[in-house]
Amino acid sequence: MSQKFLETEGPGWVEQGIISAEQLQQLRALYPEQPRAIGLLPLLGSLLVGLSALSLIAANWQALPEWLRLAVLIGALVAAYAASEYFLRHGQRSLGTGLAGLGLILFGAGIVLTSQMYQLVGYDVTGLLAWVVAGVLLTYLYRSRFLLLLAVAIGALAQGYSYAELSTYSYATLVLTAAGLGYYWWRRPDSLCGAVLACGLLWQAGLLIGYLHIKITWFFVPAMLVYAAGDWQPNRPAARALQAPPLVAGFLFMLGLAMFGEAGSYTDMLRPHLAAYLGALLLVFGLSVAGKRARGHFSSATDWLLLLPGFYFPGGLPLAIAALVVLYAYSGAVLWRGNYEQSADRINLGTALFVLTTMVAYFKLTWEFLDKSLFFLLGGVLLLGLSWYLRRRAVRTLPPSDQR
Amino acid sequence: MPGFFDPRTPLLPKPHRRGLQLAVAAQVAFLLLVAVAGYAVGHFGRTIALRTMPVDPRDLLYGDYVVLNFTISQLDVKQWRGAQPPRVHQPVYVELRPTPDGSYAAVAIYPENPPHIPASHAVLRGWVQSNWRTALRIRYGLERYYVPEGTGARLERRTGSRPLLVRVNIAPWGQSRITEVAER
Repeated sequence: MSQKFLETEGPGWVEQGIISAEQLQQLRALYPEQPRAIGLLPLLGSLLVGLSALSLIAANWQALPEWLRLAVLIGALVAAYAASEYFLRHGQRSLGTGLAGLGLILFGAGIVLTSQMYQLVGYDVTGLLAWVVAGVLLTYLYRSRFLLLLAVAIGALAQGYSYAELSTYSYATLVLTAAGLGYYWWRRPDSLCGAVLACGLLWQAGLLIGYLHIKITWFFVPAMLVYAAGDWQPNRPAARALQAPPLVAGFLFMLGLAMFGEAGSYTDMLRPHLAAYLGALLLVFGLSVAGKRARGHFSSATDWLLLLPGFYFPGGLPLAIAALVVLYAYSGAVLWRGNYEQSADRINLGTALFVLTTMVAYFKLTWEFLDKSLFFLLGGVLLLGLSWYLRRRAVRTLPPSDQR
Repeated sequence: MPGFFDPRTPLLPKPHRRGLQLAVAAQVAFLLLVAVAGYAVGHFGRTIALRTMPVDPRDLLYGDYVVLNFTISQLDVKQWRGAQPPRVHQPVYVELRPTPDGSYAAVAIYPENPPHIPASHAVLRGWVQSNWRTALRIRYGLERYYVPEGTGARLERRTGSRPLLVRVNIAPWGQSRITEVAER
C-alpha cells in the first residue's frame, strides 16, 4: 500500500467511519514514504560517470601497456564493489545494488578485454561461464531482483555467443540459469523476475534445439517444463508471470502454422518421432497437472489445449485447419474460464485471442474463393458481430461493480 | 518500477559480507588467471606458422578483428584416423608437420591426442564444425585476430587477396593463441 494511496483514500475512510483518525495515522506510520525517485537518480548518475570513464579509457586502450590495462580493469572492478559495499552500509540499497551490478558488468568486460589482449577469445566458453557463475552468486549474496535480471541477461548473452560464434552449446550455462536462478526465484517469487527468467530459459531452450538439429517442435518440451514449474509455485501472480512466455510461444507457433502451414515445404521440420515426443510431452503434462491439483487451480489445465499436436496432420489445408482447431479450443477455454471465474482480464484476453483466431481462420479459408470486396465486407461484418456478441456476454457475466 | 529496489529488505547479514569479499576476490583472481594463461602460452608455448587461404578483402575485416581462414581449416576426410566417422562438434587433434616454406601442414586428424608423433611435428586442438562427404571443416579458436584500432584496415589493403602467415603459440597443455599476423 502506498503512502499516496493512503493520502487520497484515507480521509474518505475516516468520514465513512470505516477507520478512526488514529488508525489512519497508525497506517501511515506503517507505510513510510519511500524516496524511490531520488534513489534512482544517483544510480543513473553513477552509470553516466562510469560510461564517460569507460569511453575515455577505450579511446586510449591500445596505447596503454598490457599491465596497466589489466590494472585499470581490476581497479575499476574492485572500486565498483567497494563503493557498493559503502552505500549498502549506509542504507542506500538501490545505489549499492546498482554499483554491484556495475561491478558484475565490469567483470564481464574484463574477461572479454583480457582475452582479446592475449588473443584467447574464441577458444572456449570458460570466460563467459565464469561471468554467469558470478552473476548467479551475486544474486544470492545481494538477494537482489536487479541482479537476478542481470544474471538472466548474462546467461542469455553467453549462450547466444556460444551458439553463434563458437558453434557449441554451454549446458553449464543452462543448468546455472535453470537451477541457480530458478531456485532463487522459487524461494523469492516475483512477477517481473518470473517473466524475464522464463524468457531467458526459452531463449536457451530454442538455441539448444538449434544446436542439436532436432525438430523444432521439441522446443515445447522444455518450454512446458518451465510452465509446469509454475504450477508448483504457491505464489500465483509470480507463477502466472513465469507461465506466460511459454503460452505466448505456443500460441504464436500455432498461429504461424495456421497462417503458413499450407505451404507444406517445412512441415518436415515439425514432426518428431511420435512416441518419443508424445511420451516426453505427456510426462511434462503429468507433472503440470499434479502441480495444478496440489495447488488447487485445476481449471488452468485448459492451457494445455495449445499443445495438442495438430502438426502431425499432413501439410496443406488439413494442417492449417488442425492448427485453427487448437487455437479455437484454447481461446474458447480462456473465455470459458473468464466467465467461470468472473475475471474481466481473462475475458478480455479470451476475446482478443478469439477474434484474432477468427481473423486468421476467415482469411485462410475464404481468401481463395471469394471476390475481394465481398471478402472484406463479410470479414468486417463477422468481426463486428463477433466482438459485439462477446462484449455483451462479458458485460452480462461480470458483476456490475467491475463495469466501471 | 515501484518497489524494484525494495528498501525494506534488511541489509546483508555478516556471513554474506564474507561471501561477498570472497566473490570479489575470486573475480579478480579469475581475471589475473586469464592474463597469466595468455602470458604463459606465449612464453612456454612452441611457435608454429600457419598459412591462411587467400580471402576476399571485403570479407576480411569485421570491426576490430580480422577473420582468418587457414589452409588447415578445411581438411580431407581421408586424413581422419578415428574408428568411428567424425561427428559435428566433436573435439579433434590435428597433427601438423613443417613444410619447406616454413609454414605447417596437416598430416592426420585424430579423435584423441596422438601419443607418438615425430618431434618436429605439432598437435593443434580443434572442433569439427561441419562434416561433408569428402571434407571436414575444423575450428581451432584461432579464427579471429584482434587488431589494434585502425591497423585492421591497413592489413586489409596491403594483403588484397594474398594469403597471410599467422604465428601461433601452442602451450604444452594444449592451449594455443596467435602471437603475430604477417603478410607473405
